[in-house]
Amino acid sequence: MNSVELENVTKTFRDVVAVNDLSLNVPQGCVYGFIGPNGSGKTTTLRMIMNIFYPDNGLIRVFGEKLHGACTDRIGYMPEERGLYKNMKVKEVLQFYGNLKNGKNIAKEIDYWLKKFDLHPWASKKIETLSKGMSQKVQFIATIISRPELVILDEPFTGLDPVNADIIKDAVLDLQKQGTTIIFSTHDMNMAEKMCDFIFMIFNGKKVLDGTLENIQDKYSSDTLRIRCDDGSAIFSELQGVEKINNFGHMHELRLSKNSDPQKVLAEIISKTRIQSFEIAKPSLHNIFVRIVRPEGKEDNDA
Amino acid sequence: MRKTLQIALRDYKAAVKTKGFIIGLVLAPIFMGGGFLGILLLKDQVDTTDKKISVIDHTGVIAQELIVAAEERNAAEVYDKTSEEKIKPAYLIELVVPDTSQLKAQRLDLSNKIRSNQLYAFLEIGPAVIHPEQNSEAAYINYHSEKSALDDLRRWIVWPINNQLRRLRLADAGIAESQVKDLFHWVSVEGMGLVSQDVETGKVEDARKSNEAEAVAIPIVMLFMMFLMMMMGAVPLLTAVMEEKSMRIAEVILGSVRPFQFMMGKVLSGVGISLTGSAIYILAGIYVISQMGLGEFIPYHIIPWFFIFMLLNIFMFGSILAGLGATCNDAKDAQSLSFPAMLPMLLPMFILFPVLKEPLSAFSTWLSLFPPFTPMLMILRQSTPGGVPDWQPWLGLFGVVTFTVLAVWVGGRIFRVGILMQGQPPKLANIVRWAIKG
Repeated sequence: MNSVELENVTKTFRDVVAVNDLSLNVPQGCVYGFIGPNGSGKTTTLRMIMNIFYPDNGLIRVFGEKLHGACTDRIGYMPEERGLYKNMKVKEVLQFYGNLKNGKNIAKEIDYWLKKFDLHPWASKKIETLSKGMSQKVQFIATIISRPELVILDEPFTGLDPVNADIIKDAVLDLQKQGTTIIFSTHDMNMAEKMCDFIFMIFNGKKVLDGTLENIQDKYSSDTLRIRCDDGSAIFSELQGVEKINNFGHMHELRLSKNSDPQKVLAEIISKTRIQSFEIAKPSLHNIFVRIVRPEGKEDNDA
Repeated sequence: MRKTLQIALRDYKAAVKTKGFIIGLVLAPIFMGGGFLGILLLKDQVDTTDKKISVIDHTGVIAQELIVAAEERNAAEVYDKTSEEKIKPAYLIELVVPDTSQLKAQRLDLSNKIRSNQLYAFLEIGPAVIHPEQNSEAAYINYHSEKSALDDLRRWIVWPINNQLRRLRLADAGIAESQVKDLFHWVSVEGMGLVSQDVETGKVEDARKSNEAEAVAIPIVMLFMMFLMMMMGAVPLLTAVMEEKSMRIAEVILGSVRPFQFMMGKVLSGVGISLTGSAIYILAGIYVISQMGLGEFIPYHIIPWFFIFMLLNIFMFGSILAGLGATCNDAKDAQSLSFPAMLPMLLPMFILFPVLKEPLSAFSTWLSLFPPFTPMLMILRQSTPGGVPDWQPWLGLFGVVTFTVLAVWVGGRIFRVGILMQGQPPKLANIVRWAIKG
């Protein structure tokens, strides 16, 4: 069963088509990552799922029901821009959001989550006294305090240090284990690769990727050669069959052109320098993202 | 409805728990009452510097009497009888012989003396004032000073001059003043209410003497209290919504409630705040007035109407102000919108006195039936001693309910679009488009 279904959804703001004929199915209990460059339509799509924006065309179903009118209490939503009442105390804010969602045992849930996130000493402090990371954790707790069946997180890791990002990540995965469906948008490709069961990419309002990481990578074949060698990047510039070179300092990533044989390329490199290690790999999500967003001509120039 | 009430409750608690609310509740009537008190106290604060006035008397028979009258007044009124403190200025009148060949130059010379503070004013009495019908053009009395429009001396001088004119006219008619002494006895007109009859006993009750407090103070207090409640309950919604939008709280809330529920939650909190404030003021007012022995002047029959109109007024303006708040991106936007948004609340204050003076005139009646003005002006008219015909508050109520429904609908549409719209200034064209298209 799908938690969310979008059928040919279009949303236009005056002359700008923010989301164009988008269809998408989010299976229940999965982690679904929304990626895409800034302004591509991720937040608009999430807001339409939340019924904050109404689609101009198409149909959205949440938990199998056509979404009309009321925002369901079964969805937790954390928008990209965090918003908490600064003059309220942490516990009061969480109680307020929990009540708004018609949550049960809110007081117990507040204690549980504040302890889990090491925020219990701050329970009676005003929001304005918290650091940015703490506020973000409170915002996250406010989103899930009513134990929703579907959690929508718009860029939940933005601005967090690695420790806090890990705390949120673990909490998200814990929720998934308990059967919660998670949709989150992110610019962190590494996080998306590691966490998501499915990845959806939107670009200029249109769906350009949708599926598991393996499925997506399969579409791009094994055209990437990661290599460590004694000499620097100078030797790669003269290689035949190499389309793009990414220099990471100690390691180089070569994207091979279509129909070029990795064995031949390797043989040519061996003839010029001593290889320390190599790997014939599928392109990373980051790599795929860049290939879609940046036209080839521009990419070559940058390289 | 549950979610709307939760939002309302949160906002209500956030507002009434602050020290600002309690301080405001205490200070607002002090400032407003203090303003009236100040006027009452300061009205007796007069400049006691003696005022010298020159009189060009073309008749030659009036100025002398003026000097006598001024001396009598100075002796009787300038010093307080008990404390012997000077409480009013003395009027010092000097005669100036008219220079008929160079009258303009003489007037200019006296004017320059006023400009250089050697003189306070000068008076010119025309030659035909005793018998104006013979030569109306020469029957003038001109008072020249730097502020002649609002001048106590000018107001005083009317009486001795006119008394002297009567004496002179009597003398010309050959009637001795002693024969018609009552001619100089002025009778003032006493303001009275209407005679009524007790329904049970049939006894005819005497009319009550009209009381200034009843005629002026009670309507003004009711109007100001309505205005104050609007300032407490409706006006802050503009900035509150703007702040929640700019602090991105709005989107978090919209993840749980519909925009209309969100807006109505804010408006209901305004209603709650106003109810709290007005209930405190009315109860305290009734107690204080009763303790002062003036309980008979408390307009109990108006109080239910006050609450009905106040609630509708908060819904009406609160919805529009919340909608407008949603169109603002920052404090500057809110500031630029606040005055035009408050104008319909301010206009009844500007026309307070004409309505108070003639509460049953067509002007007052029609304005009080114009829905945005109805709550304030109808309460003002109802509080006047004569009240208004019974059908008028009901017709006003019908108009206000209808207009409030429209205002909530329009405010809701503007709110729904505006609350998530970032970076677009609150231009009139945008607001109208959002209100129409949603």
